Amino acid sequence: MRLYGKFRLEKDRDGEETINVSPLIDVVFILLIFFIVSATFVSLPGIKIKRPKAITAQSLERNSILFAISNNDKIFYGGEERKLGEISNLIEEASRKKRKPVVVQIDQWADASLLAKVVANARISSTSVSIATRKPR
Amino acid sequence: MKFRSKNLQNEETEINVSPLIDMVFILLIFFIVATSFVNEIGITPKYKDTANTTFEEKRPLNFELLPSGQIIQNGNTIGIEEVAPIVRNAHPDSRSSVLLYLSPGSKAGLATQVIDQAMLGGAGAIKLSPHSK
Repeated sequence: MRLYGKFRLEKDRDGEETINVSPLIDVVFILLIFFIVSATFVSLPGIKIKRPKAITAQSLERNSILFAISNNDKIFYGGEERKLGEISNLIEEASRKKRKPVVVQIDQWADASLLAKVVANARISSTSVSIATRKPR
Repeated sequence: MKFRSKNLQNEETEINVSPLIDMVFILLIFFIVATSFVNEIGITPKYKDTANTTFEEKRPLNFELLPSGQIIQNGNTIGIEEVAPIVRNAHPDSRSSVLLYLSPGSKAGLATQVIDQAMLGGAGAIKLSPHSK
């Protein structure tokens, strides 16, 4: 089979035309290695929140334990609603193998006293507790 | 020996790579699905343990956030842009500590801005309290 001049399928020993799959395997392996290396397996809180703005915001650790506080003052972790008292145990469970920092995603219209309570509870089990923000536009 | 050399000359043995490709594709799809690109930016209010006695040499700056959105410092209502200068002028020689009272009903967006401004003013430690003063 001849397609547009140069492209030609190779012929195997039986005279059948085959596609050379080696470059395909190369590309797929490179993609595979990229995704293995970049995989962090963070469990997301699973709700959409509007983060408050902050000027001094810095990039946070990718591999962290994420909590979210919705605008109707509910705490979410791993896609489920949780109670305030559970936070400390959840952090200890999640950082059993390796210590991870905690990131609290709070909606800007949530109750600030709840933020203080969540941060205080998270500090029982973790030394680093951050508040997720967004860049001011 | 003769048979073997003849075999090499005429027929090339090939490894069937199809199962390998299948397996690699399954792994690839698994990792694509499992990868979550979390790239958060945020603020980390540092906090010293109050059990440390040297902490008490300088009294922390108190700010209070009311449900109405007012910021109270030393009895006066202040604006959000005044937080950073107050923190900077309180202890120009060293990093000052800030105690922020967040009254129930005050908004987290404003609380985060106060923390942000206090850090901009060079606060070394920021403690959040969920009670009214």
